[in-house]
Amino acid sequence: MTKAASISINDAVLVQQCRQGDSTATERLILKYQNRIYNAILRICANPDDAAELTQDTFVKVIENIDKFEGRSSFYTWAFRIGVNLTLNYCQRSVKLGLKSLDAEDNEDSSKDKGVLKAFLTDDSSPDPAVVAQNKELCRLVVKALMKLDDAQRAVIVLRDIEGMSYTQIAEVLDIELGTVRSRLSRARTNLRQIMEAIP
Amino acid sequence: MSQNEFPDIDELLNGFIDGELDQRQQTEVQRLIKHDKHIAERLQELRNCRRLVSSLPYTEAPQELLGDIKASLEERKLLVQPVPVRQYRREHEGARHLLFRKLTTAAAMIGLVAVLAVVIYTIVAPQASIDKLVAVFQPKESEPAVVIAAADTTVKPVSAGMEFSGRLELKTGTSSEVVAFINKAIESNIPADQRSTAVPGRPRESFALTCSRQNLGLLLADLDTIWDRIDSATLFVDTDQPKGQIVIDAVAPEQIIEIAKQDDFQTQQKSAKYFAALNNIEQTLPGKEVLTAVDEKGPQLITIPKPVLTSGEETIKKLPTQLEDSRIVHLTITVAER
Repeated sequence: MTKAASISINDAVLVQQCRQGDSTATERLILKYQNRIYNAILRICANPDDAAELTQDTFVKVIENIDKFEGRSSFYTWAFRIGVNLTLNYCQRSVKLGLKSLDAEDNEDSSKDKGVLKAFLTDDSSPDPAVVAQNKELCRLVVKALMKLDDAQRAVIVLRDIEGMSYTQIAEVLDIELGTVRSRLSRARTNLRQIMEAIP
Repeated sequence: MSQNEFPDIDELLNGFIDGELDQRQQTEVQRLIKHDKHIAERLQELRNCRRLVSSLPYTEAPQELLGDIKASLEERKLLVQPVPVRQYRREHEGARHLLFRKLTTAAAMIGLVAVLAVVIYTIVAPQASIDKLVAVFQPKESEPAVVIAAADTTVKPVSAGMEFSGRLELKTGTSSEVVAFINKAIESNIPADQRSTAVPGRPRESFALTCSRQNLGLLLADLDTIWDRIDSATLFVDTDQPKGQIVIDAVAPEQIIEIAKQDDFQTQQKSAKYFAALNNIEQTLPGKEVLTAVDEKGPQLITIPKPVLTSGEETIKKLPTQLEDSRIVHLTITVAER
């Protein structure tokens, strides 16, 4: 059972109480999902302050529209849809306004990091997640590679590989067809692999 | 085999990595990677790529995020404060009060239905049930009685084998005329050795009769002609119970004849109780339709023409055949001024 499926047991009750103006239930819903939504948004927008603000906006919008939640999908995917849409819109606006640039970071790569990601990708023995997580420089390079993907591809990678959603849940969150999820994820991973290999 | 030869191979491999393929597709991928080294290497690269991303550390939301969200919600008046305890109690007290009123109304309705049921049952109840009523009811002094009277020193219990025995108490505003009529009727119908002499001058005249049923029938037929002068006629029928009598208020001559003509003592008692209950119900009902309602099931009543006082004239014998045997009955008739 995925993490996403295991947390939705009492969501319907909390949502109902939230609709009736129960502030305790509202607080419980926020506490239940704030870290996961924040983490996903952070991996898409790559800025902690923006992620915090976008997470805040997400929950305000969730509570604002809680009466419109029809229960056709889970509350979890519904809340993520709002969060991801807000984030993708924000990313598009940032690009248009010229607020987003990774060029400076490109210049900061030290010579000792060159070819590190490529080595990991071609390693026959799969990389140990604990080792990767403890290697801050490696993490920074992975994030950098992610940020070179376009927003839509980055979003699908984050939802699948970080949040652990199924293809069906990703289709609900992004409001796209299941086949589109397959093809977009495939292209995203292929591109990401190429980006990682290309990082000097 | 290369990516160009199989343009969807990456999609297939990603589905394999993510566990999103069906059994047939999984088998196909396993066959491909087993036989194609390049595809196996590509699968490993995609798998490593996925692991690199999923190994990124999990970053928790800032501590102040919850407070910021709540503040933002309160600004928009989306976060409602919990209902104060006092208001909650007020609402629930109202609900309790409403429930109490509903229960009280329901209880009143049940009580009303019960009263109506008793009234209806009293009207349409079968004979057996009326017998029970006779033994249970304790009416007020002013109301018609349907009780077995007690504490009457003149009452003598009769055995089951005895003939009819009772006392007829008449009250009238014209007692002298009635007494005179009764005297004449007795002289006409009852032999001298079967009657006692009336005692004039007393407030209540008394006639003790021990006569045949036939003679009693003739006497009552005569008395029926003056019955409209009688304001109150009560028959006390002796029973086999010590100090016990069945009291029939508003008794009619034909009812007395009906009781007296019963051959069996038990049947007499039953008939007396029946008339007691019947008259009681009739007195309590304004329309007095009950007589008609129960007429078909009860003892056959005698239809008697309305009497005319024929003072000085020979009495008219209208019911000579009602009691035609010579068995002895005991009846004491008293007349009192109302």
